[in-house]
Amino acid sequence: MSVQICNFPLNPRFALRPRSQTAARSTRIFARAENESSRSDQQQLNLSVLRFTFALPYFGKFLKGSEVEKRSLPEEGEQVFVISSSIGDSLKEDLAWATYVLLRNTSTVAVMISIQGELCVRGYWNCPGQMSKAQLHDWFKRKVDEIGLADVKETLYFPQYAGSALSWDILPDGTRSVFVQPLVQNTDESEKMDGFLLVASTAGYAYSDKDRAWIGAMADKFRG
Amino acid sequence: MEAARFINQIQIPKNPNRRSSSRPARFIRASSSQEPKSYRGPKPSKNLVADFVSRNDDSVRSLPIYVGGASLLAVLFNRAVSGIAPVADASSSQSRADLLALGLAVTNLLTGLVWLSIRPKTITPVEPQGVDCKVLEPNLPPSILSELLWAWESLKVATCCKSLVIVYNGICLLQIGMAAKSPDVNQAVLVNTAKLMTGSVYRGVFKSKAQSYLANLSLYPGRSELPFLPPNTQAVILQPLGDKGIAVIGGNTIRGFTSSDQASKTFSSCSLEKTNRTSKKSWFAHPCLGMDFFNWGEA
Repeated sequence: MSVQICNFPLNPRFALRPRSQTAARSTRIFARAENESSRSDQQQLNLSVLRFTFALPYFGKFLKGSEVEKRSLPEEGEQVFVISSSIGDSLKEDLAWATYVLLRNTSTVAVMISIQGELCVRGYWNCPGQMSKAQLHDWFKRKVDEIGLADVKETLYFPQYAGSALSWDILPDGTRSVFVQPLVQNTDESEKMDGFLLVASTAGYAYSDKDRAWIGAMADKFRG
Repeated sequence: MEAARFINQIQIPKNPNRRSSSRPARFIRASSSQEPKSYRGPKPSKNLVADFVSRNDDSVRSLPIYVGGASLLAVLFNRAVSGIAPVADASSSQSRADLLALGLAVTNLLTGLVWLSIRPKTITPVEPQGVDCKVLEPNLPPSILSELLWAWESLKVATCCKSLVIVYNGICLLQIGMAAKSPDVNQAVLVNTAKLMTGSVYRGVFKSKAQSYLANLSLYPGRSELPFLPPNTQAVILQPLGDKGIAVIGGNTIRGFTSSDQASKTFSSCSLEKTNRTSKKSWFAHPCLGMDFFNWGEA
């Protein structure tokens, strides 16, 4: 049995590296990770500021004193003026006056007033042409029944009316705001007039608080 | 569906004297117009952003300044601690991103400053000094009475109106709302129509036949011709009612009546004047309906 003594120095391939090299390498890895995370934070901050900046014009629309969108006449739709023939002259005059004031003094392009089922319709509406006044009145009555507008008991305001799949196709294309004011004061009182007042506009957010208060006051004229 | 349910609940009772027949009981067909159908349209949704901005107008106006300032500081701080050389070049992606962020921050700051500078001035309403009064001309027909009271209610709800006086044919038909307090007794100062009609304010309105809006009443010497209004009335509209009457509308806010309010008063005066006139005229020939920019036509 023989023992061989190694005279050459030990040079293991898998020996541990020196501490300084390890520390430098780990520091570089840590710094790179830190840089990436701070860059990511900075990106998130930039994106947040960018989103907020883009949202500013939308916020500005609702500030007091902001410019009100102007109405435009609908490109399609018929201009009509229909009053039920079975109401008295005095009420006819009042309805004509009220619809005129609403069209003139607000950005309304279409107005409908219903009092106990009798209608006054004025403005631009999406109704069939070539119909007599009586036929138009009956047509509007049917549409109102389909929607169930006579059953509305609280005010409805759609400042950004997007149109629906239901029977509101009577409103002209381009309608952006709709406001419905019921004439029913108390559902238990049957002697009070019932009905509604509907106004529509081609401008978005067309009816401010003041406009709605004024429309409510107009509705009071017919509420009795 | 409601009509069907109604039909199912109604049944004609059988007449016991009648010979029984094999025919089934007849039902009353309920007309759909008797009972309104339930509303099947869309329901309005709440716009939380619009509500928040409307309620917190001042805070929202200054918000872009805070956001812009904070993002500016954040960019500078990040630049300082990240160890990047403080040079204003766009050689590295980090520098370019910082430049963009600075631009956005400055945009926000400037937007906030613009919003604050164009904020509408808020004018505080003034509580009228006087007493509540409601004086109506006796023997008024019910139609005129209801019209006058409706006019008052609509003005009270929709505008800053606190006092309303209507004089027609030399008679004060209505004095309602707040009125000046008489120094001798704890009562309202009533309208002296003779004195009012001889005053320069009244004659001026009738000469011009147009509405007169005194936006800041304290600046006008003609204030003394309206002693029935509370002494601290801020704004007044003098609206002629045809050729025979005038409506005096007092408000509690300087420049409180907007242009749409003034137009509304003009139209309301048409209605009041029509009611007060005794002669019957076709409404469609009334001057108020002469201006038809849509050319609505007649019903």
